[in-house]
Amino acid sequence: MSSATVSYNFPFSHIYVEKKVLGHPRTKAILSRFSKSRVIKIDHYKDVFNRPRQSFRLQKDSPSLILAGNTGASVFHGSPVCQDFGYENFYYTSSCRNCIFDCEYCFLRGMYGSADVVVFVNLEDAFSEVEDLLSKHPVYLCVSFDTDLIALENLTGYVSAWAEFTKGHPDLTIEIRTKSFRKDIFQKIPSCDRVIFAYTISPKEVIGRFEKRTATLAERLSAASCAMEKGFPVRLCFDPVIYLPDWKKAYTELIEEVKGSIDLSRIKDVSIGTFRISSEYMKKLRKDLPGSSLCQFPFENHNGVMEYPDNLRNDMECTLVTLLQSSISQEKIFLATF
Amino acid sequence: MFYIVCALAAEARPLISALSLRKDDHACPYDTYFSEDSTCVLVLSGMGNVAASSAASYLLTRFGFRPDRDFLLNFGSCAGSIPGLYLIHKITDEVTGRVFYPDMLYDLSSCGLPLSSEKALVTVPKVISSLPDPDLLYEMEASGIFQAASRFCPPHRMIFLKYVSDSGEEDPKNITSALLTERAMEQLPHVLSVLEYLGKEECPEELIDEDLYISTCLGLRLSETMRHELRQLFFYAKASGQDIESILSGLASEEKIPARSKKEGKEVINVIRDRLL
Ligand code: SF4
Repeated sequence: MSSATVSYNFPFSHIYVEKKVLGHPRTKAILSRFSKSRVIKIDHYKDVFNRPRQSFRLQKDSPSLILAGNTGASVFHGSPVCQDFGYENFYYTSSCRNCIFDCEYCFLRGMYGSADVVVFVNLEDAFSEVEDLLSKHPVYLCVSFDTDLIALENLTGYVSAWAEFTKGHPDLTIEIRTKSFRKDIFQKIPSCDRVIFAYTISPKEVIGRFEKRTATLAERLSAASCAMEKGFPVRLCFDPVIYLPDWKKAYTELIEEVKGSIDLSRIKDVSIGTFRISSEYMKKLRKDLPGSSLCQFPFENHNGVMEYPDNLRNDMECTLVTLLQSSISQEKIFLATF
Repeated sequence: MFYIVCALAAEARPLISALSLRKDDHACPYDTYFSEDSTCVLVLSGMGNVAASSAASYLLTRFGFRPDRDFLLNFGSCAGSIPGLYLIHKITDEVTGRVFYPDMLYDLSSCGLPLSSEKALVTVPKVISSLPDPDLLYEMEASGIFQAASRFCPPHRMIFLKYVSDSGEEDPKNITSALLTERAMEQLPHVLSVLEYLGKEECPEELIDEDLYISTCLGLRLSETMRHELRQLFFYAKASGQDIESILSGLASEEKIPARSKKEGKEVINVIRDRLL
């Protein structure tokens, strides 16, 4: 990876490993894949991850990998800016932090000071936490929350592990949100109607300009179809809806393409939400990406959440709903409200 | 610009000479050297962590380190088992136990510093007589420099280059100035190559035309909050490839700029927004 003038090290050229997980089987398995990387032993992942003044933007091109053991909680209540799809006990879990894709609008850019990818190798501890919750009530869990877990599947195997775990726990439903093209995963894991694959669906222009390294629209739709074929529920997320000067045309064409490629009657549900982010995160996004028209858009601050102006937001949401409701019943359309 | 910290003149001499650095004759608390084209400033900190930390703070504050385009380089000698020049990826302060990690973003293999040239280093309070761990390097300044610099400098813009001068000495007097200079001289081509290579990095573009922004704020009689709004519109115009200057000159010819009141100024901001979206 290089700018016009200097080169950066290859992704995962440096792998930081907490001393306490050096002997963990997952650590060993992951390290065996990276014979050319430098392995640096560390005491705690935060010594690297929380360094002051890191460049998220540059690290995105050359992220390091950090292998750690999560000692705190790893299952959390869902945030109000996330959709709960009517599930009462809505949680997310963080077995990996950061993502190998590079979306300009990604909230992780605001949430973390580093773009280095952290993998917590002690996934079984997260399983225990979920089992504790399941002993009290059913659980709806987003497992691909602060990462794209499918994009990391070759490295971690966590999608398969969560799917297996879910299959064995009837009160657990998981959502795996992704922008990946991978279909092989559906051959590997047992089909289950409580393992929801949620595809973020964006117009080609948005993918090309703002969702670097992610799958194309056709690839996402093809992967979504494949998931349905194999018996998994599929959610289509028109979220975030992004402003473009000709957004109406872009989203109209998008919905046409979706209708032409996917049997919408078999979709579990769709979510619609215009881009929104906390004002604190937005400050960091704007600093990190001063040349991004998406981040520099003159958003309005509504109680600490940066959003498109009301009239634009309503227009975008109504347009999407109108375009979709001829093919999907109303109760399957979830609007982001908080 | 490169901000270079060396502990001793003997370590810095080959660099000072190769870069034709000139000593600053004004009263400086540290011996300080400049390149004629102002692309390099080098300070001699003296030995030890405290001296190095103060010198680094002095250097970065006194000469206006810019974190988006400048680099801090610490070049110096160390004890180690295998002679050579090393790029440091981990610095442990032996006294406090604290550990620091420069961010190893740049690929310096074309400067003779491939990944295999990286090592971890321990900053110790005095010259060591033998190597406690032959895989590590030992010296007396890096942790102080890292700590002081991390207040100003992103971790990927701190480069620690250490050359092995000895493998631990019972008698520090055996590490002579001549030896330090000779070993530094051997590594000079690599260090110059790093400076030349990193010096090629493109500087970030000026974000917005500050003069135009300020004159527009004045012309529109804007309050502080409205100035922020306008600034964001300048950023958006630049990022979305629109010409704010022609929008503003259009508004001037429509006699909307200058505004006669804050209220009028606010209305003009709304017009600018509408024209941009
Ligand atoms: S795919 Fe999701 S997690 Fe990954 S960069 Fe994009 S928005 Fe962030």
